[in-house]
Amino acid sequence: MTLRKTAAKPGGDLLQGTLDMLVLQALRIAPAHGYTIARVLEQRSDAFLKVEQGSIYPALNRLEDRGWVESYWATSENNRRARFYRLTSKGRRQLRQESEQWDRLVKAIGLVMRPVEE
Amino acid sequence: MRRFFRRGRLDAERASEMQAHLDHCVDDLIAAGYPPDRAVQEARGRFGHPGAIREEIYDMNSVPVLEPLLRDLRYAVRMLRKAPGFTLMAVVTLAVGIGVNTAVFTVVNALLLRPLPYPQPEQLATLRTVAAGPTETGEDLSTLDGQTFLALRADARTIDVAAQGSSGWGVGVNMVAQGRAANVRQTRVSAGYFRVLGIAPFAGREFSADEDRPNGPAVAVLSHGLWTRAFRGDRAIVGAPIMLRGEPYTVVGVMPAGFTGGGDTDLWTPLRPSPTGEGGGTNYALVARRRPGVSREQADAEVDHIAAPILARQYTKDTRVSCSLIPLQAGQTADIRRPLLMLWGAVGLVLLIACVNVAGLLIARSGLRTHEIATRMALGSGRGAVMRQLLVESAVLALVGGVAGLAVGWAVLDILTRLSAHVLDPGYPITLDARVLAVSLAVALTTSVFFGLLPALQASRVDVTGALVESGTRSIAGSRGHWWRRGLVAAEVALGVVLLVGAGLLVRTFVHLRGLDPGFDPSNVTTATISLQDRRYEDAQTVNRLFAASFERLRRTPGVEAAGVTLGLPYSRLLNMRFQRVEGRTADSPGGMTNLSYVTPGYVEALHLPLRKGRLFSDADRAESVPVAIVNDEFVRRHYRGRDVLGLHIQVAGGEREIVGVVGDARASSSGLGGADGPVITPFVVYVPAAQTGASLFRLVHTWFAPSWVVRTAGPMPGVADAIRASVAAADPLLPIARVDSMADVQAVSIAPQRFMMALVVGLGGVALLLAAIGIHGLIASSVSERTRELGIRLALGATAGQVMRGVVGPGLALAGIGVLAGGAAALAGARLLRAFLWGVQPADPLTFGAVVVTLLAVALAASVIPALRVLRLDPVRSLRAE
Repeated sequence: MTLRKTAAKPGGDLLQGTLDMLVLQALRIAPAHGYTIARVLEQRSDAFLKVEQGSIYPALNRLEDRGWVESYWATSENNRRARFYRLTSKGRRQLRQESEQWDRLVKAIGLVMRPVEE
Repeated sequence: MRRFFRRGRLDAERASEMQAHLDHCVDDLIAAGYPPDRAVQEARGRFGHPGAIREEIYDMNSVPVLEPLLRDLRYAVRMLRKAPGFTLMAVVTLAVGIGVNTAVFTVVNALLLRPLPYPQPEQLATLRTVAAGPTETGEDLSTLDGQTFLALRADARTIDVAAQGSSGWGVGVNMVAQGRAANVRQTRVSAGYFRVLGIAPFAGREFSADEDRPNGPAVAVLSHGLWTRAFRGDRAIVGAPIMLRGEPYTVVGVMPAGFTGGGDTDLWTPLRPSPTGEGGGTNYALVARRRPGVSREQADAEVDHIAAPILARQYTKDTRVSCSLIPLQAGQTADIRRPLLMLWGAVGLVLLIACVNVAGLLIARSGLRTHEIATRMALGSGRGAVMRQLLVESAVLALVGGVAGLAVGWAVLDILTRLSAHVLDPGYPITLDARVLAVSLAVALTTSVFFGLLPALQASRVDVTGALVESGTRSIAGSRGHWWRRGLVAAEVALGVVLLVGAGLLVRTFVHLRGLDPGFDPSNVTTATISLQDRRYEDAQTVNRLFAASFERLRRTPGVEAAGVTLGLPYSRLLNMRFQRVEGRTADSPGGMTNLSYVTPGYVEALHLPLRKGRLFSDADRAESVPVAIVNDEFVRRHYRGRDVLGLHIQVAGGEREIVGVVGDARASSSGLGGADGPVITPFVVYVPAAQTGASLFRLVHTWFAPSWVVRTAGPMPGVADAIRASVAAADPLLPIARVDSMADVQAVSIAPQRFMMALVVGLGGVALLLAAIGIHGLIASSVSERTRELGIRLALGATAGQVMRGVVGPGLALAGIGVLAGGAAALAGARLLRAFLWGVQPADPLTFGAVVVTLLAVALAASVIPALRVLRLDPVRSLRAE
């Protein structure tokens, strides 16, 4: 029963709810299927965020349930059937909000951490 | 929430999506140089556990409360289907209990509870007079005399009053309008009657005070039904004349559809109340409406102040009389209220027993499932979950039982209304309405909570390790904790005995009454009743010309063997009159009371009433010939001690008559004079020829009684009613026939109340028997299951199946024996209460008691043996290893 706790266990502890934001961000430029999303997360973070690939699916389920992404089946670049996800306008708004919040948080943490050097 | 219902399909989709993910990953890895088999392994490693992820998503999409409930529901249905015997018994028990209760409640609701169909029915009231004195005590509902009514109408400030006249004995009056005749039901009401009830005429107006007094203008208000039926809904009828009882009346109004005034009235005429004559006695019924803002106490005080002193004159001097108002509905239903509520109580008891029976079944089952429940709890299921599951199971049971009960209710109500056609008349059709539906649903739900909670509480208190390690309850006889269940089963048997004895006695009464020799041959006899309370039939010659003219054609009709007219049909109420002896008259025994009927020649012949002595009437008995009379056997027995009465004279019906014949006895209804056989009596009767009946007697008797044409045909003859109609129409085209019945119908109606009561009690007795059987069956079945291990040991040690079975069946029979003894004693005491309803059978009838005892013991034996047969299929080795 303890197997269920498969939530993201990345190299650095991923903050609660951050995975959702990262998935949204991965979809900002173009629609993508699950494998692409997982690859994007790994590559962009220089493999620092070692997300178990499967763990993006609960996140996708949640995002779709909230109406931030929508999915459709299409043929992938490898000529395989795959389920693609794209941002909805609602999801775009959400992403904008979250990244602003993230920026503020990073800035705030940065302000707290920097005075030591001054 | 949306995803909750599509989870199954979503999950399949998710699985193929993840497979696609893995395939892509493998593609990449192979491109990067991995060998195929390593690539698959690596891809799986990077992905994680697909099953766990799907499960996480599945849970994410579930709704916290609904999910386990649905699971419980599925589980409950599966468990119930796995035990069809238990489920069937529980559902049948519930369906019968709820169904009978629903049907009876529907009747109670329609007759007693449903508000009267008038505006602000709570303001409507009627009079209650209580008399208390050394010689006279009692209670009178709604009736009052003319003087009291006039005083209330003139002086009462707190209430608006009106009155209704006492109605006749079921035969309507003749109406002729637009050249057509009809028999209509007339009710006399005072001015303001419709205003007090709060229903305005649909067209025209109601009676004015000027019309509602002696010798006022003759006016009438029509019911909507009569207006559409007889006048095709023509509004021009208001203001037009109609003929009522041969006199001209003017129609002044039409009432709206649906208004019946509580009876089956076709038209209303003014009451014309007076302090003398009819108004000298308490022949009016009061209807009152409290004025707005008046309290019950104020109205009661005023009514007592005005009415009590005047009404006191109707009683002896030393009687204290007090008056008050009671709700109109209570006043109208006073005579049926008590029996109906008693019936409802009895039926409620049956429902209660049904519920407890099901509770017993469930407890026995939860006992059997101790092991299962303990296992579930040991595996981590919470007490709450177990309780919830058991509750859901009994709720499902109750729901199925409730639905089945509704079906049973429909059927029972249908039977009830058909049987009660001549007994209870609510004035409107009885249908299951929303209120009844709500009550029966509440019953089903309460029942479910009641019997669902008990076993659930008991089960959740299970000692987990005890039940698992020792299997304790399975090895011993398991009698402890069952004493109350045994008591219950014995009580059910006792109740069954009481009800079945009552049913048996009533069946024997009914069979006795139906089997009574009518004294004549009722087959192939048809009767037609016609009201002669008519201005056109006030002299004797006209009446007799009508009889003769109608026979002339009737007797020529092929198939008609005989025809005659009588004032009083068999099985009906007869006219009572005083007679005096001429010969052998003494000071202390000058004569007495007798039933009297005028008849035409052909009547006795049509009934096949046997002629004992002398002769029958003939056309030679005319007004100017010697006055004659015929008497019946019972009259001779009663008044002449069986002596020869031919040639003797009696003074009756306006003169001295010679007795020329003696005929056999025809039965009559109990309201006449005669030897009592209950609802059917043997009356003593004097018959006089219609030709020798005077105008004043005709006028007098036709006010209360309507004569009947009696026709005997050679065999069953479908057209006989039309033949009678045509013959009467040939004599007088404007004379309507009130009713045509076969003699068999007349006979059946006379004992309809007995049939109704018998059917009710037989039905309840059957239900009680069924419940007792289920109770015994459940008890024995659960004891067999609980003792499987013990019985197995005994079989293994060499006991024969017969010995073991005897041990199992014994307790069931012992309980039945105790129940039969207790019930028999109760029935012996209770049957005396039934004495008033029994004829031709003693309350302690040995045949009835014997039959009931044998029936119950046989049913108990069957109900015990059937579950015990499982012992025969018991394999000792397997039953020992089962643990």
